[in-house]
Amino acid sequence: MSTTAQQRKAVPGSRGQQHGPRKSASTKKPKGKRTSRLSPLGFVLALPPILLILLFVGFPIVLAVAFSLGFTGGLNSVVATIGLNVHEADNWWGTLAAYQEVFTSSRFQADLLVTVVVTALSTLIVLFMAMGIGLYLKMKDGRMAKLLSGLAIIPLFIPVVIASWAILTFYSADGFLRSVFAQFGLQGPVWGYTAVAIVIGSVWTSLPFAVLMISSGLQAIPDAMIEAARDAGASFPRIVYSILMPMAFVPIIIASTFTAIGVIGSFTVPYFTGPNAPNMLGVELTNFFVSFNQPQQSVVMAIAVFLVASVIAGFYVWANFRSAKDQGRV
Amino acid sequence: MSMPSDAVSPPRPLSHGRAMAERSTEATDVAPASDVADVADGGAGSAAQEAGGLQVRGLSKVLGGRTIIDNLDLSVREGELVSLLGPSGCGKTTTLRMIAGFLAPDTGTIAVAGQDVAHLGAEKRPSAMVFQNYALWPHMTVFKNVAFPLKLRKLPKVDIARRVDAVLELVNLLHHRDSRPGRISGGEQQRVALARALVQEPDLLLLDEPLSNLDAKLRVKVREDIREIQQRLGITTLIVTHDQDEALSISDRIAVMNAGRIEQYSTPGELYARPRTEFVATFIGSLNRIEGSYRDGVLGSGSDVVGIRPEDVAFSATALPGYRPATVERIVPRGHFSEVYLRRDDALLRSYLGGVAPAPGDRGYARISKAMIFRNGLLVSGTEATADQ
Repeated sequence: MSTTAQQRKAVPGSRGQQHGPRKSASTKKPKGKRTSRLSPLGFVLALPPILLILLFVGFPIVLAVAFSLGFTGGLNSVVATIGLNVHEADNWWGTLAAYQEVFTSSRFQADLLVTVVVTALSTLIVLFMAMGIGLYLKMKDGRMAKLLSGLAIIPLFIPVVIASWAILTFYSADGFLRSVFAQFGLQGPVWGYTAVAIVIGSVWTSLPFAVLMISSGLQAIPDAMIEAARDAGASFPRIVYSILMPMAFVPIIIASTFTAIGVIGSFTVPYFTGPNAPNMLGVELTNFFVSFNQPQQSVVMAIAVFLVASVIAGFYVWANFRSAKDQGRV
Repeated sequence: MSMPSDAVSPPRPLSHGRAMAERSTEATDVAPASDVADVADGGAGSAAQEAGGLQVRGLSKVLGGRTIIDNLDLSVREGELVSLLGPSGCGKTTTLRMIAGFLAPDTGTIAVAGQDVAHLGAEKRPSAMVFQNYALWPHMTVFKNVAFPLKLRKLPKVDIARRVDAVLELVNLLHHRDSRPGRISGGEQQRVALARALVQEPDLLLLDEPLSNLDAKLRVKVREDIREIQQRLGITTLIVTHDQDEALSISDRIAVMNAGRIEQYSTPGELYARPRTEFVATFIGSLNRIEGSYRDGVLGSGSDVVGIRPEDVAFSATALPGYRPATVERIVPRGHFSEVYLRRDDALLRSYLGGVAPAPGDRGYARISKAMIFRNGLLVSGTEATADQ
């Protein structure tokens, strides 16, 4: 009888119980009780940033989406008046005219292609390099490994603007690379103002985070796991494929999605090092907004970038969910 | 837990029958050698006769300027279970890791089942290891963990499933076939690790402190399981442990290590009854260690070390021949027996007494029936008190 009575007393989580001898009561459901008691206060604490985001990010997003659909009245009236080539809503739900204009233009299509290709390529290269460095750090321990891990995060401490300029001058037509080639009577490649330079710049800026993420993920794997695989007869590539990659799955996914989302929305690197056209959408939507004074088209492009980034984010969520499920957390 | 005939290595039972027979005769013939140095051979000349098992010769390892392993010899007969026993930092795990192939020895040879393996990497050696923390891969199910070594050998799927299931049945874990390691208990994880090693049908099974992460009750059960499976399969086995209970209860022979060397390599009974050095005597079991001399059941002054096992100290409430007056000073209840500290005029002695323990302050009589005398750390004599003093 006593246990059921105790349970019954404990479950409602009355405050009196908390101060008494907690043993029997609190071991039952301490977590749920605490969160329920603290949640109003917690919510109040979280309120300022939530309000700030709603007001200064959420609301403008709604306005921008409405504007892209041709709702030009109210708070959108100023931008609609100043902007050129604005499509007005002709339905109760608006119009897709701006979307149609942007998506069917060959200029946008080329930009989108460049954006996707540069993003995919940069992410792959970053992943590949970060995995290589991470594996080297995991397997080898010594001065060389320490030096490498130090070198890999240097880009983190160099402002992107400076790095972009450096990359541009390094690979430009009269840059260092071609000068070196010229010493031997050779024609070096001109990568300044091309998509190649954007990829190089993106790799430069994204590598440190990916290295930190992936190498710490790999370091967290106990050596015994690797030794057990060796003992079972696994070669090094097999250990990487069957043990290290699956066990560092989440850090690898985090690194790759963060890199991809970072690159797809990048501005500085493609602005400085990339070509005039086609260029990445970050630069292009700025052009449309600032230079061409076509805010509606620019918003449409922003939404397009957002949709692609959402796909990547969905991948991130899926990976986290899968790993949580594997570990029995969900 | 019946063992399907085709589960682990069909040809094995034959050779194991032989190994077992050999063991039963040889277990008794480990004569007390007079010199500590050649003890590690464990049965002189056996190395030459036995192609199987494990033969380690002249193994040395220096790490960070410190000699971890110092010219170590060890031979384990085929089908034998040997424990490397020693305190932390004595080099037992280093030895095991060199035998497994995770660490390259500076000098020395390692032969497993007659094959020199010193130059091979761990992945090419015919040994399988059970790790201290089990090292089960968390992203694979129990089945996949155990199947991994076989998958690497590119066996047909049907064969893999058959062998894995057989081994899982052997360790009594078939019901957890599709569980993940994180979802099963420590003892079960331990058995998965054992299964993963056994499924490889290794010539040599290595266990690195396999029971140190289990609670006391489970430890006893799992060590009995390990011993039972080892005997049934007749696998040559080397266990590293710092737990003397564990070593004494499951080993055919024990190599007691100290500071990178093997101090004594004998059967458990021999180790306990006739430790060759003071270190072994104090490390294995309990010991009254008294500096002085010993003669006819009485301790005197001197420069030797006298070692007396607590069970060799008898207590009586009434005066008996050979007993000297003693006062009970302190009592430590130990469950099945009591640890009683007896103050005699020559020394304070610890004794294990069963039955009703005396109370502190009680007066009675104590007698030493046996003592070992060590000089410079070596046993010089194990004196029996003449029976009817």
